[in-house]
Amino acid sequence: MSGCKRASKPLASLWRQGAKGSCPNSTLGVSFRSFTAGPARFDEANVQSSKADNSAFPDPATAVTPSEEEKLIKAGILPVGSRRRRLALQTTANIPFEQLPYQCFQEARKVLQADREEKLKQIESERARIAKLQSQDPAVSGGEVEKARRLRSMQNYLEKLKILADINDPLIKKRFEDGQGDMNRPIYRYLADKKWREYQRPLIVQRITQMNVVPDILPHLDPVADVRLAFRRHNIQPGQFVDSRVSESPARLKVQVFDKGERFVTVAVVDPDVPNLEKDSFDYRCHFLAANIPISPTSTSIPLSRLSQDSTILPWLPPFAQKGSPYHRLSVFVLEQPNGQKIETAQKAVERDGFNLRSFADKNSLKPIGAHLFRTQWDEGTAAVMARAGLEGADIELRRKRVEPLPYKKKDGARYR
Amino acid sequence: MLLPRVGRPCMRAIAQRATSQTSSSTSSYSTFAPAPQRSSSNSAILSRLNWAPSTKISPSLIFSRNASHAQSGRANGAKDGPGKRLGAKKTGEQYVIPGNIIFRQRGTHWFPGENCGMGRDHTIFSTAHGYVKYYRDPLKHPKRQYIGVVFDRKDTLPYPQHAARKRKLGMNALPITDAAKALDPGFADIEGAVDHDLVAKGNTVVDVRRSKKSARKGRPMQLELRPGYMYREANWEIGRAAERAGVKTPKFKRGDRFVAWRKLGERKLRNAERRGLKR
Repeated sequence: MSGCKRASKPLASLWRQGAKGSCPNSTLGVSFRSFTAGPARFDEANVQSSKADNSAFPDPATAVTPSEEEKLIKAGILPVGSRRRRLALQTTANIPFEQLPYQCFQEARKVLQADREEKLKQIESERARIAKLQSQDPAVSGGEVEKARRLRSMQNYLEKLKILADINDPLIKKRFEDGQGDMNRPIYRYLADKKWREYQRPLIVQRITQMNVVPDILPHLDPVADVRLAFRRHNIQPGQFVDSRVSESPARLKVQVFDKGERFVTVAVVDPDVPNLEKDSFDYRCHFLAANIPISPTSTSIPLSRLSQDSTILPWLPPFAQKGSPYHRLSVFVLEQPNGQKIETAQKAVERDGFNLRSFADKNSLKPIGAHLFRTQWDEGTAAVMARAGLEGADIELRRKRVEPLPYKKKDGARYR
Repeated sequence: MLLPRVGRPCMRAIAQRATSQTSSSTSSYSTFAPAPQRSSSNSAILSRLNWAPSTKISPSLIFSRNASHAQSGRANGAKDGPGKRLGAKKTGEQYVIPGNIIFRQRGTHWFPGENCGMGRDHTIFSTAHGYVKYYRDPLKHPKRQYIGVVFDRKDTLPYPQHAARKRKLGMNALPITDAAKALDPGFADIEGAVDHDLVAKGNTVVDVRRSKKSARKGRPMQLELRPGYMYREANWEIGRAAERAGVKTPKFKRGDRFVAWRKLGERKLRNAERRGLKR
């Protein structure tokens, strides 16, 4: 606990006490205990009850102290928003927006509501137009191609209207920032996508281009899904060096897509830096391969260890790097399967060594939608990890070849006279 | 440079003369004070100065010489110093090894491409065994010219944009010796990684993981190879030598005049003795 928090703790508890001890006189339901050294007559009676409240399960909207947060996280509930915001919420009565006593705010809300009504009307009319066009004979609407093009553009416009209807709603903004947005609704998907494109997407694009994951493994990648990676409790940043003991157990992926609908994806973990001494070059190795994993905007978690037997093609092989070899880039690719089709997983044995993701993706017409990356190198645990996985080669060290100088060509004697 | 400066007053004078012929005013002389109200008083002053207004204007050409510019000696020459031996050191298609200098230049006439690096003075050098290629890569940069090294002489640069890179390992595999395994904590908890009988028989192993406090007691001094190629103890162990030998020094007490006086006497004696030795 930092000094700042320790200092603010009595103040926080004071506020909480005030908020919980209901004062009948105050309209907002908030009472403040005065900062006096004398006996606090009114609050004396509430001490007992507030202590009883503390032992109860904390509210995720107002939990502030680390112990309360810990209790919540243990129960699998994340505290809402920031700690500062939760502390502020304790001192307010949490009045709904409609009842807030600010005239200008309420007038502004009226304007926004009128705009929303208008947008809803437009949505209705656009839906009617789409239905009309769909029922129309293609010959009337200018041919099959033209009809399909018009339908697509009208659908896009409809999606745009759906977002415009909700984009100015303060309640929606609040819910999104609290992490309570429903990803089934287009507005929350839109907001999440916008947030992801601000920082996380440029970051992953930078890492995979700087470390040459693209074009070493796949020719091109335009990420459209947010991919997060974790080993047990360790969240891994893109490109981070991961201890071989940490990465021994299978990773947990979180794949957030921002367009509606369920689809099947293939997940591949490929190491393009396997040293090949005969070729004096590098090889590919597949550390994990699974197909037909259903994901949607609401179901995002892919625990690689808990996938069903028939979807897993190659189970998790712990990443390792031999002593002295340059670092290995373990790249995780999420590839979308076309039109909700399933891949035949038991077709024939896929080889781990020399696995080529390019040809695999081409053969199954997979489209990469997201990627992640971590690195591994020889560390204290690698030998043990390799021994446990039954891998050979831990007792070999790679050393750089000595560069033999070119034979010196003596210049003609006239230069040295 | 002089012409525009002279030309403008000249033109104005000619124009005003043309007007003065029609209006017959006295202002025709005043090329630099064209205001008609003040012209009468000006003419009075000028007449007193014996400068007749009726005389014809001839613009005087005033040459000015600017700050001096040395004309001799090293002033304008001395551009022909010794050559800096810049330029290509390896031609296209020539075989190079890592570290070979391919091009010396001032500034970046050439940029490092495939398997090449650029030094502090923009020298292009090779980072791989291969053949030098001089090329352009419009997809990377529309104007730059690059120097690259390819492994296969038949290859052409630039490589296709989306193709996997061509890389060389450039390494040898050596078995890790049991001695090295004994030193490596990574092999400590693996069954059969280290042959303990062999380690016990040979005296090759020097245990470096013994920096525990009690480890030193009752054991002979163990020397290890330290920076500077010296077999010696660690600095902290040397620092503890007095403690190990049981040397005790009385604690310094501030303001203890008796001890100070005794030390002063000793010091004086020592100094006197040293001075005596010198002579």
